[in-house]
Amino acid sequence: MYINACSTISHQNSFKNENWINELTLLNDESELITPNYKEFITPTALRRMSKIIKMSLACGKDCIEQSGIENPDAIIVGTGLGCLADTEKFLDNSLTIKGLIPPTSFIQSTHNTIAGQISLALKNHNYNVTHTQNSLSFEHALIDSILCLNEEDSNILVGSADEAIPLLGEIIDNLGFEKISKHMTSGASFFMLSNNKTNTSKAKLIDSYTVGLNNSDPKKVINEFLEQNNTSLNNIDLVLSNSFGSINISEIEELFNSTKVTPVEQYTGYHLTNAAFSMHLATETLNQDSTIKRILIYNTLNNSNIGFTLLQSLEA
Amino acid sequence: MSIYITGVGVISAIGLNVKENYQSLKDQKTGIKPLRFFPSEKEILAGEVKLSNEDLITQQNVTSPISRTSLLGLVAAKEAWNGNEHNTNIRTGLISATSVGGMDNTEKYYEQRLNKEKEDISLITTHDSGNTTERIASELGISGYINTISTACSSGANAIMLGARLMLQNKLDRVLVGGSDSFTNFTEKGFRSLMIYSDEWVKPFDNDRNGLNLGEGGGFILLENKKSLDITNNTPLACLAGWSNTADAYHQTASSPDGKGATLAVSKALKVANLKPADISYINAHGTGTPNNDLSESTALINVFGKDVPPFSSTKAYTGHTLAASGAIEAVYAVLALQNNVIYPNLNYSTPIADTQLVPETSWNDTNEVKTVLSNSFGFGGNNSTVIFKKVEDVH
Repeated sequence: MYINACSTISHQNSFKNENWINELTLLNDESELITPNYKEFITPTALRRMSKIIKMSLACGKDCIEQSGIENPDAIIVGTGLGCLADTEKFLDNSLTIKGLIPPTSFIQSTHNTIAGQISLALKNHNYNVTHTQNSLSFEHALIDSILCLNEEDSNILVGSADEAIPLLGEIIDNLGFEKISKHMTSGASFFMLSNNKTNTSKAKLIDSYTVGLNNSDPKKVINEFLEQNNTSLNNIDLVLSNSFGSINISEIEELFNSTKVTPVEQYTGYHLTNAAFSMHLATETLNQDSTIKRILIYNTLNNSNIGFTLLQSLEA
Repeated sequence: MSIYITGVGVISAIGLNVKENYQSLKDQKTGIKPLRFFPSEKEILAGEVKLSNEDLITQQNVTSPISRTSLLGLVAAKEAWNGNEHNTNIRTGLISATSVGGMDNTEKYYEQRLNKEKEDISLITTHDSGNTTERIASELGISGYINTISTACSSGANAIMLGARLMLQNKLDRVLVGGSDSFTNFTEKGFRSLMIYSDEWVKPFDNDRNGLNLGEGGGFILLENKKSLDITNNTPLACLAGWSNTADAYHQTASSPDGKGATLAVSKALKVANLKPADISYINAHGTGTPNNDLSESTALINVFGKDVPPFSSTKAYTGHTLAASGAIEAVYAVLALQNNVIYPNLNYSTPIADTQLVPETSWNDTNEVKTVLSNSFGFGGNNSTVIFKKVEDVH
């Protein structure tokens, strides 16, 4: 499977900038989401009603369409950990405070599948359309579904994920006792065009994605099993991109991977439940640009009891 | 490869288990009544599960906080799981569908916040839909592939088809698929804001239908492949024959008048099942009772079946619209229809829709063999899904 387009809106200068992986900066308290001019992707009337998560997703989705030249993908698959939080909070507030008739817009836009639905509307696409929401593994589940589609009769899949931060979320994370994390709760979206066909826009190969929910085994064992299933081993992995809740335990993660280099990704993307999608874009572009790196493993333990794996390989390897 | 259904479980306004649901369907007894357990200022007609959260927590022996969505899902999932054992040779997964997730607890938390009361922060930890599913998985001892689908009112059907596809591609041998949603103030006010919540008893496919009644509940079915059956020795109740998911791409909430997405969903599912339109014995329609859905769905049925639309009915006038759970609850009803050779009556119908003139089944019809059941689930965002069930022919 080939990754023929990728597009990310994040706290890095990642949108429509292939060189972004060489300009990474560490997140600080002043970092902000770097957004494009949405008017290039969305009509002004539609734009007014849209929340951040929809705007990011539509822009990234359309950018992937443009990059790949695939106007009518065979499926649109989205992963989101918490869905359309801004509209959910707005309607929740209205439903508890307004007596009488409430405007329906925020209700309509509150369901998780608004993202994939809006993309299908924008593309006039009638194909398979689905939304996965399994907290920290939502993106991996969307990827696994895409792999199923590509093994069926489909050729091109638009897959991605998005999550948005709202002030209430930061407050809740703070109140739950994660003060350090709450400062870096971020929004972000990443979309990809996956294909069975290698084209002149192909950047890397997706080998596999796999999840273990409510893991009860030794992580080392699970890692080796995943790599074995894909006929490889840690010796063949050049880089591990890790997503964890607080980089404090990075030494514990490093210990799992022997001498393979581990880069924690949350220092660049901050915390949102689908930040493994950011890792996949970072991995894809790294494989595309750095010929010394052949295989990258994305190891996602943002939620400690759940493990997500995504394995990518360079086009040449 | 066949996908066998070896367990079913359901909890809804018309019963706390499969047996009670079947009896209510037979007795033509609706579960849509003024709310009893959910605090509301005025009388609201809805399909409420007749058990309080406290009773559910005690009965299921689980710890608080847990969302009502998880509790309802757990009851149905446990019944469908039916005491099966874990076995390292059977790769087992769980896929649940939900639209509201832990919104019932989130509402309580948010209200405390608005009223400047002391907030119970633990309530918010059940908000995310993934948590709803993980609670069910953890009670059943399932680890590994655990996933949640959220495509509004078509979620349940999508969870079922994802399970089948994972089995066909040899990723899993056994998977518990279904969904649950609880009644919430959020969804009730939401459908009211769209002017499609009826204060009368819902009338699916009637010319004078004027909206839906919300319901709540959970439904699960256990899917197994041959390898799993050889180990469990479970008896297949039915088979999953076909499925499809399409996008209407017409409007964020309304269905297209020409029923494009629904037509595609029904046709594609028939193709996957390798069945002709004439092979369908019964259609359990989405039939929410909103003017828009029932017209669009009727048009789609005519598009696919022409003059020979098979016997069809909506069971929403029994249960109310249970959102993400509806496809799963109706999957259980489909299996029961196959087992008992019965077509369920569409309650509250009197006059055909002027434009389509389609007449649903209105009585308990058990005169003909039911070999195949086609079940529709359509949702917000233009998500249309169809699932087809059939009798077990031979186990191979």
